[in-house]
Amino acid sequence: MLSLIVVIPFLSALLMALVYLADTKADRYKFYTIVGVGAPMIITVLSLMVGLELVSGEETIHNTLINWLSVGELRIEIAFMADRLSAVMIAFITFIATLIHIYAAGYMRGDEAYGKFFSYFNLFMGSMLLLVLADNPIMMFIGWELVGLSSYLLIGFYHTKSSNITAANKAFILNRVGDFGFIMGISLLFISLEGTGFTFESIKANIAMIDNETLSLIGLLLFVGAMGKSAQIPLYVWLPDAMAGPTPVSALIHAATMVTAGVYMVARYSFLYIEIPDIGLFIAYIGAASALFAAIIASYQSDIKKILAYSTMSQLGYMFIAVGLGAYSSGIFHVFTHAFFKALLFMGAGAIIIALHHEQNIFKMGKLKERLPLVYITMFIATLAISGIPPFAGFFSKDAILVNAFASGHHLIWAIGSFTAFLTAFYMFRLLFTVFHADSSDTKELASLPNSMTRPLVVLAIGSATVGFLGVNEAYGGSSWFNNFLVLPDSAYHISHTTEYLLGALNVSLGLIGMFLAYKMFAINKLEVKEDALYKKVIINKFYIDELYVFFIVKPLLFLSRLIANVLDPKVFDAFINLNVWTYRKSAVIFARLQNGKVRYYALYILIGVSSMSYYMLFKLGLM
Amino acid sequence: MMDNILTNIIFLPLFAAVVLGVFRADTKYLKIGAMLSSVATLFLVLFMTYNFDPHAGMQFIKISPWIQNAGISYFVGVDALSLVILLLISLLMPPLYIYMYHEKRKGYWYNMMLLQTGVSGAVLSLDMMLFYLFWETMLLPIFVMIGKYGNGLHRYNSMKIVLMTILGSMSMLFSIMYIGYIYFETHGIWSFALNDLASIDFNAQTSIWLASGFLLAFAIKIPLVGFHTWMAPAYGSAPTPAVVIMSSIMAKLGIYGIWRFGYSLFDSTLSYYAPTIITLALIGLLYYAIRAITELHLRRMFAYSSGSHLSLIALGLFLGNIYAWSGSLYFIATHALASAGMFIVIGLTYKRFNTVYLDSLGGIASKAPRFSFFFAFFALSIAGLPGTGGFVAELLIIIGAFKVNFYIGVATATTMLSAMVYIFWMLQRALFGTANNEREYEDLSFREMIMLLPLVVLLIATGVMPSFFMQIFDPFLVSTLEAFTLNSGGVK
Repeated sequence: MLSLIVVIPFLSALLMALVYLADTKADRYKFYTIVGVGAPMIITVLSLMVGLELVSGEETIHNTLINWLSVGELRIEIAFMADRLSAVMIAFITFIATLIHIYAAGYMRGDEAYGKFFSYFNLFMGSMLLLVLADNPIMMFIGWELVGLSSYLLIGFYHTKSSNITAANKAFILNRVGDFGFIMGISLLFISLEGTGFTFESIKANIAMIDNETLSLIGLLLFVGAMGKSAQIPLYVWLPDAMAGPTPVSALIHAATMVTAGVYMVARYSFLYIEIPDIGLFIAYIGAASALFAAIIASYQSDIKKILAYSTMSQLGYMFIAVGLGAYSSGIFHVFTHAFFKALLFMGAGAIIIALHHEQNIFKMGKLKERLPLVYITMFIATLAISGIPPFAGFFSKDAILVNAFASGHHLIWAIGSFTAFLTAFYMFRLLFTVFHADSSDTKELASLPNSMTRPLVVLAIGSATVGFLGVNEAYGGSSWFNNFLVLPDSAYHISHTTEYLLGALNVSLGLIGMFLAYKMFAINKLEVKEDALYKKVIINKFYIDELYVFFIVKPLLFLSRLIANVLDPKVFDAFINLNVWTYRKSAVIFARLQNGKVRYYALYILIGVSSMSYYMLFKLGLM
Repeated sequence: MMDNILTNIIFLPLFAAVVLGVFRADTKYLKIGAMLSSVATLFLVLFMTYNFDPHAGMQFIKISPWIQNAGISYFVGVDALSLVILLLISLLMPPLYIYMYHEKRKGYWYNMMLLQTGVSGAVLSLDMMLFYLFWETMLLPIFVMIGKYGNGLHRYNSMKIVLMTILGSMSMLFSIMYIGYIYFETHGIWSFALNDLASIDFNAQTSIWLASGFLLAFAIKIPLVGFHTWMAPAYGSAPTPAVVIMSSIMAKLGIYGIWRFGYSLFDSTLSYYAPTIITLALIGLLYYAIRAITELHLRRMFAYSSGSHLSLIALGLFLGNIYAWSGSLYFIATHALASAGMFIVIGLTYKRFNTVYLDSLGGIASKAPRFSFFFAFFALSIAGLPGTGGFVAELLIIIGAFKVNFYIGVATATTMLSAMVYIFWMLQRALFGTANNEREYEDLSFREMIMLLPLVVLLIATGVMPSFFMQIFDPFLVSTLEAFTLNSGGVK
């Protein structure tokens, strides 16, 4: 059953690709929709069955497909393993992906490459499921890489515009920089444990064999991979540009697949990271920095999708704070709740974009409250959820992370997290109020939205409002069911209920202040972003990080390439070869001069010849 | 049948060429004849592979005396190492003949047939002189094809590749003759058979000198960085079938030579050269890849790409452990498939648009989706896309490098990054962007799909079930490595 969950999306992608390539012009809307949307529906059911099996008591489920590679001690099977962690992941991935697929069937209708889109879409999902269900690091890495590839294909889906391809390239290249770290981590892990097997279970059993220093290095290298995939500082610059893809792709990247992979990876290797708290702390600080940094930028963006993109990066920062501090379950819980409201936000944004005939600037929108009531209500719920207002889903997961940060004693991280919570509420409500409340002179007819686009919004809104209850902790009268179900090796931080209430109250009030501030500033008038002060200019230009990349990496590479082309190859290596040629030519000229046809010269040569011969015979051989 | 099967495999193409030549066949019959000879050879090779026993070492051996006074014999045999390359050349010839379908110049066809004989002969020879003969035979058709049918500065470039290659060949010939002479001095008779020569114990200094003669030849053929200036001009000027053979097969013969002759004749001496070659290979890996970024001519770009990946293969070989070795040998096969596919689609690009310069391409994806799919697939498989064989090979080499030490591991892992920059930038400029409406974008025809599909299928199959393919050479690698470690204590 597990292998079916992975194989079905791949097979459906292959089938659609073949049908598409056989006749690229044909309009096969029905076929692609049935195959493309059917596949995630089937695997959602299968995933739930896996989940039920685990709830009813199974520890783990294994499933081996074939023997993949067997070289020396490296024996790798295409095999899958579901424990509770991966079961949770596949449950929400498949469920949310199904909704996004349904939505995409409406969003992409009429696109001439509809079949290609769904083929890529299912490839994306298959890769993500391979990543999650892999039973060994190598298979996980293959999924990891394929996720990068599918994101490249989907971000560059509208390929006639060159900037989209640049965005796609950027995504893939930065992901590969992460993968570069990741594969080094895996290789080092394998070499350190050579001969003891290389599945997650055997690694876990033998982890004590590795000395602490190597283990820290491995943990760090693996995390470099997570930085790329989950868009953390400094490898995040691809994520905002990834908005070049169609909106369902953004929803899929940000909610169900891809960016959550990094957090999942750290949780998967929790048995390793628990041994190296220093690296964990580093991860937490990277997370905190990313959370704050992205939230600041988000507050000054005017493109609706980019605001959401930065907000994802910021929320991922929270998740890394959690897993870095060893609160793995809280991190995964936030991944889980975030998937619902972030998918909803993106799909709502997509609906607005379609309704407004591909307008993405929030300051050109306004007064949509009455004109798009359903989108308004659902997005309002999602915004409340992401801002951490109880009882919506985001409150419980974010609060758990901040409480853990406080309890762990790293108060700086906690402070950054709380301040970011305020910023989150601010920029999210800034978006909401500007788009739905503020005045607008725009009276253009709205494009109609198909049911397939609006119905999933309702489902997700219900989810965003309620899934948080799965993980209500003891302080709020729950039993932390979610955390207990996961059975991850969480660091236990103890803190009194009173402190917990205080922290919760603080976060909620910070959220409300952010909301209020946004209402004052944006609900009535439009306060467009102006580059009137230096700090604003720096923030609007995203701290010039892209430019730094160009200056320190791209430019030197191009320079080096030209140096090789114009200097090293022709003037150094080839010069040596050509020197030989030149020597031959010159010596030919010299020898040609000897043979000049003049008798008196030849007489001279004879004289020289005879004299040397006589000399040789006389003195060397002693003939006389 | 099995007794002479290797001889048949080697000489069938040449025989076909001679028969067709004697009857002065028309282009029409020439085409059919060449195609038939390549398909027949392929069947013979597949039949032999079916009967091949991975555990049996050298097999299907055939020895007959040839120039008895000088101890030179016709001595051929096949083991896993030569089988891999033999399979590749015989797999690639039929698609190349399909590619040449409209080719009217007769010499072109004859040269290709001669080339196949040269390559098959070189990998199957176990007599050093015989090997040398075939080694030079391979070069002739390449010289003619670049010089006569090439483009650009083709005469200059074909002269350049021949002179540089001959320089290496000559030094190898001197080494071969000197080894033969040493054998004569110790045994009183002449012999150039590899197993006889392998029994000689050289003193360390002689061994280093003799090995350098071979290594120079192979370094130029691969080419390692510093010996490479023939490469880009030759690839740039050569017609597509010649480029495919050069990149997919002939460059690999440099590696094959080190593996076959280097390890039999001077195993411990190779350890002496290992640090140098590992360094050169690591430099080459990045040097070529960085050079490729600003190259606009597609064939030249992939010439550098090929150099970069061959450096990686050479690196794997000199790392000397089972992971790196398996990776290297697997990479020989998968890189051959990927780069053959890539150079063929570049050839198809030229046929369609009359240019292979990146700055005058673009927008193909929106007009010719099938063409773009194949183009992108081969490019990505060169970049080591997971799910294709190249990924497995690179992974194994990286693991092998980490086994040697951490720093070499890090340097080797840069292969994850090196190919990517130029590949993705290339795809962007070649395939994407807006289409030029005055230009005709013809999608792949049925014939062209048939030619490319086997390569795609093989690349995916090698990525999805590598252990199925690796079982052919796994025992060979294990036993060779054991013998090698016994003799020299492994590469340090």
